[in-house]
Amino acid sequence: MAAVDVQNVRKIYKRDSQDIVVLDGLSLQVPDGEFVALMGPSGSGKTTLLNLIAGIDKPTSGRVTVAGTELGTLSEGQLAKWRSRHVGFIFQFYNLIPVLTALENVELPLLLTRLSKRERRERAMTALKVVGLSDRAKHYPRQLSGGQEQRVAIARAIVGDPAVLVADEPTGDLDARSAEEILNLLQTLNSDFKKTIVMVTHDPRAAARAHVERHLEKGVLASSVQRHEAVPAGAAQ
Amino acid sequence: MKYLPYIVRHLRKTWIRTLSTIAAMALCIFLISVLQTALKAFYGGLENASTERLVTRHRVSLVNNLPVAYGPRIAAIPGIKRVAKFNWFGGMRGSGSSGHADFQNFFPNFAVEAEPYLTMYPEYTLTPEEKRAFMQDMRGAIIGPALAEKFGWKIGSTFQLESIIPPYRIGKPFEFVVRAIYTVDPKRYPNHQRDIMLFHWNYLYESTGQRSGVGTFNVQILNPNQAAAVAKAIDGTFENSDVQTKTETEAQFIGSFLAMAGDIALILNSIGLAVAFTVLLVTANTMSMAIRERRMEIAVLKTLGYSSGLVLALILGEAIVIGALGGGLGVLMARGAVANLGGIPMLSQLPPLALSPSLAAAMFGFGAFIGLVSGLAPAVGAYRANITSMLRQV
Repeated sequence: MAAVDVQNVRKIYKRDSQDIVVLDGLSLQVPDGEFVALMGPSGSGKTTLLNLIAGIDKPTSGRVTVAGTELGTLSEGQLAKWRSRHVGFIFQFYNLIPVLTALENVELPLLLTRLSKRERRERAMTALKVVGLSDRAKHYPRQLSGGQEQRVAIARAIVGDPAVLVADEPTGDLDARSAEEILNLLQTLNSDFKKTIVMVTHDPRAAARAHVERHLEKGVLASSVQRHEAVPAGAAQ
Repeated sequence: MKYLPYIVRHLRKTWIRTLSTIAAMALCIFLISVLQTALKAFYGGLENASTERLVTRHRVSLVNNLPVAYGPRIAAIPGIKRVAKFNWFGGMRGSGSSGHADFQNFFPNFAVEAEPYLTMYPEYTLTPEEKRAFMQDMRGAIIGPALAEKFGWKIGSTFQLESIIPPYRIGKPFEFVVRAIYTVDPKRYPNHQRDIMLFHWNYLYESTGQRSGVGTFNVQILNPNQAAAVAKAIDGTFENSDVQTKTETEAQFIGSFLAMAGDIALILNSIGLAVAFTVLLVTANTMSMAIRERRMEIAVLKTLGYSSGLVLALILGEAIVIGALGGGLGVLMARGAVANLGGIPMLSQLPPLALSPSLAAAMFGFGAFIGLVSGLAPAVGAYRANITSMLRQV
């Protein structure tokens, strides 16, 4: 079963009186447990597609089904609830809340659950351990390096144990070494924790870590590079 | 409650802005609380007014006195229980030989026809011994506990007053002996003044060569439901006289007397409203700035699964916390200030001032309400905001 099933999706933005077609009848299937990289030039619709998969935007037409739920059938409130349970979002610029510590940032999605404070803290600590930052739990974002901030953001994305992770250029703001660490982490989440990952990137080295590379151009899938298995950690350097 | 630390952290982050807004809010609540307390005290007499008491005065003005002879004629009208003569004396300490009136220590003093007056005004509680001593001494004075405290007067103390009203100026001060210090039941008459001085009307009348006249006839009626009819009957009795009367209920009389000072309530309430509106704008601006700076954060929260309603509640919660803190601080400041208002000469005549618990609670709530209203626009903006458009603008 496909973790992500995008069927004939069109997305049109209106700017003044002009219609801008960003996605034009695009279809995409991502099987459960696959790591997909979406590549393409700026304006090709990568981020828009990612937003549709993450349920933070709606298509003009077509159908998006993620983790067995057709997102078009959900109301705004239902969609918010669905996002909190089924999808983890990793931003290019980390987007941590500056007034909260690393632990509190990771705990943020769990505030929406019925977990006790102690359970929330335990789960957040576990997520920080997974990303190797349990010793920085009480640090604020300004006290962390870019790579560490992104790892905290990844911990925040996985703390609710979602089936699908979407990452919008997760290494785009990092130096090569930090980028390597983040890619290793994403690979581990995919291989060891069986997370389905959809990652937008401009970086061919990052894309090489995925099982599949999908190339978008002008709102449609232009080509695809299938790899049988992910590139081993460290090989991209 | 689990979101409270999140709200508090944001307020702490921009602590200068937060404290400035809270201070502005506190000043607003402080000012309105003090003004409302003063207003309540100012109009306290209206609350004390008895429904079974009427006041008959000169139709033209309070400045004009009524003939003494009207007393028995009023008393003869059906439905009337008793009548008491009453004159505002306007006595000042130190206006005699020195020629300088002591306006700083001015207090209300009245010449009253003691027996009926004290009977129809149970607000003044005297011991039987004090009342007997007062009734037997033409120069006797009943003073309020605030005067005893302020001037150190005791039973037997003597003092002098000279009136500022020309017909009552007799070329020398009136001499008085304290014969009674009244007490007031705070539960039954919470707003009754504690610094009034009463003395015998006859003392004034005789000392002025029987030229004083009567300021007002205070009338006690048998049936409060007949107040209008009795008032009409009194005024009708003197309708064709040279000196016509105007009879009102005590509440109407006090109201018209207070109205002579202008519409204090309108002025004070306008000030309060203007201040509140200004603070509302300041707080709204603060909240809008805070939310504008956090567009990315709002987008992130929504991406994580926070519903628009929850985001709206978090922003409103932040605004309410500012309002409530400002309200609480303002109420505490007002409580301290109100307790010291009695020291201001113009306000020293008012009943003991205290910030009532109901007003304190209302003002605290008002602070939170202003916070809520000020947060509405940015909160609704965040509620409606689209995640992708917010992320694009970051």
